[in-house]
Amino acid sequence: MRRFRLTRRLGLRARITLAFAIGALLLSALLATTTWALTRENLLNQREDSATVIVFQNAGIVQRRITAETKPQALQSLLGDLPTPLGAQPVVFSSTGYVSLTPEFGEDALPLALRNTVVAGQAARMRFDVRGEMQLGVGVPIASIDAAYFEIIPLGDLESTLEALGVSLVGASLATTLAGAALGWWASRRALRPLAGVSTAAMALAAGRLDTRLESSEDPDLRPIAASFNDMAQALQDRIERDARFASDVSHELRSPLMTLAASVEVMDNQRDDLPDRARSALDLMVADIDRFQRLVEDLLEISRFDAGVVRLELEEVHLAELVMQAVSHSTDADVPVELDAELAGVVVQADKRRIVRVIANLLDNAAKYAGGATAVSLRQVDDGVLIAVEDRGDGVPLDDRDLIFDRFSRGTAAGRRGNNDGVGLGLALVAEHVNLHGGKVWVEGRSDGEQGARFVVQLPVEVDE
Amino acid sequence: MTTRILAVEDDERIRMAVKLALEDEGWAVTEAATGEDALLHFQREPADVVLIDIMLPGIDGFEVCRSIRRTSDVPIVMVTARADTHDVVAGLEAGADDYLTKPFAPKELSARIRALLRRARTSEVSSPHLRFGDLEIVPEEGVVRRNGRDVHLTKTEFRVLVELAQSPGRVFSREVLLERIWGYGYFGDGRLVDVHVRRLRTKVEADPANPRHVVTVRGLGYKLQV
Repeated sequence: MRRFRLTRRLGLRARITLAFAIGALLLSALLATTTWALTRENLLNQREDSATVIVFQNAGIVQRRITAETKPQALQSLLGDLPTPLGAQPVVFSSTGYVSLTPEFGEDALPLALRNTVVAGQAARMRFDVRGEMQLGVGVPIASIDAAYFEIIPLGDLESTLEALGVSLVGASLATTLAGAALGWWASRRALRPLAGVSTAAMALAAGRLDTRLESSEDPDLRPIAASFNDMAQALQDRIERDARFASDVSHELRSPLMTLAASVEVMDNQRDDLPDRARSALDLMVADIDRFQRLVEDLLEISRFDAGVVRLELEEVHLAELVMQAVSHSTDADVPVELDAELAGVVVQADKRRIVRVIANLLDNAAKYAGGATAVSLRQVDDGVLIAVEDRGDGVPLDDRDLIFDRFSRGTAAGRRGNNDGVGLGLALVAEHVNLHGGKVWVEGRSDGEQGARFVVQLPVEVDE
Repeated sequence: MTTRILAVEDDERIRMAVKLALEDEGWAVTEAATGEDALLHFQREPADVVLIDIMLPGIDGFEVCRSIRRTSDVPIVMVTARADTHDVVAGLEAGADDYLTKPFAPKELSARIRALLRRARTSEVSSPHLRFGDLEIVPEEGVVRRNGRDVHLTKTEFRVLVELAQSPGRVFSREVLLERIWGYGYFGDGRLVDVHVRRLRTKVEADPANPRHVVTVRGLGYKLQV
């Protein structure tokens, strides 16, 4: 469980880097240890062999010069004359006792095992520690007088050489580990770079740029990824375009029969007074629903053009305050009061008049359908453009619905419960599309005076001409 | 004499329904299913108003519009698929006076036709002789001359020029011109004015790119330069 969480926490790159570092560490540690051990053995053996040769020579000298009657003083001066290597201490054991150059290398300076072996008549050598320093003891029996010649050679200088070697090997291992980590970091970056490209492309696709494709790669390992990603993107684009075209085609096809219906029903309506009551009622239903049908088809056509990506703003100079007032006075709810910022009087902006009019009309329609009509429309100047707000005294929009309400064919849960079938469900979606096309935002909030009701706000980043 | 309307529409049922609705208004309707048909009918019996669907099999509505314009200044209403496409501007540039988008209410069509007919007739209302540099306007005769030579304007172009010329120097907003000439309220399409002014300039200006008579007042509209 812990392991799982750890791998989850570490990214792929970190894991690759870590693996490279651990691998480099293990390998370099193994190599360093082996090198150190071999070098140590080699150095020690070399030193022991050369020392042994000298000890045998010196033992020969001692054997020639001494007899059983040689006095310890004479023996001592003989030992002092021997060509011993620097720091080596000659020691002689005989039946009469023990002779060394300095008293500190006393009788017990030599390990008992070595002494016994040599005294028993066998030449031998042995490594041992004296006060933490490694020493080499070499002993040769002098059979003629039943004595033994020893030399104690300090190996401390070898120790420090080996220590220096060890330090540099540890340093080299650490450097190798770091280099391994760096290599892992670089390799994982190289290996993951195509993934970063895929991720960027996928984000672009998600953002709606459907023609995003990966560049085809020279690399045989990467080519299938790019190819399948591009196939997927193409399929997605085809599918979305087909859906968009379908909606547009359907609406287009609906217009011709609708045209005939609208014209025919109008001809019948001209003869309305001559019709029997029941036929007249049926005619009224037809007139009303053909009108609704017509608005639905217009809205569908409008929104399918957004999906097809063929919309563009028809910007013209618009007297904003007048536009808002005209839009309100021509809407279904012409009596709604319009509150204007004084500073906006006479301001001319660049805007698509038709779309702004639709935005205001749809917001007023929405208020009329779901909230008993708008209570006020206001136009305010803010730092980054203008705010057009439509307030009502309905039930308000629950927090959960405040984003959903701008989706297509979504009327919000509260509105749906009211069972009002008159709404088409595209009005607010079109508001959002028109506003987005202007680079603006639309949202719904509570009323600014804290009373019950909703406040739909459109923020347009319009460029004020004057 | 009854007003005659030539309706060019390839969908038979739409054509019949529109014909019924227009006949209810007291107008006579000649039907044509193709552009070729329409041009034949128009040669044989000139109409007072022509209604053309842009989408036609064979020669399209734009071409029919241009062909009619070569010989006649009859008011033309075209029917386009969408208001926000280039079709509208292309149709107006081909010589149409007004446009509707499908599906439209026949009442709306009747209103447009009535406005065009009114316009065609008001050009006969008397007004004094007007002169602006090389430009001479005789509203009574419906004649415009530049450097003494007759300039041929459609009835709508003529109305735009006379409207501006009757208050020289005054700035007319697009909305005002739309209301006075096309009978639209505030929500008329400003492109109607823009394209008609553009067409007018090619006929009355020595250099249409640098107009001296019909000038644009940025952010406000158009005026006739005194």
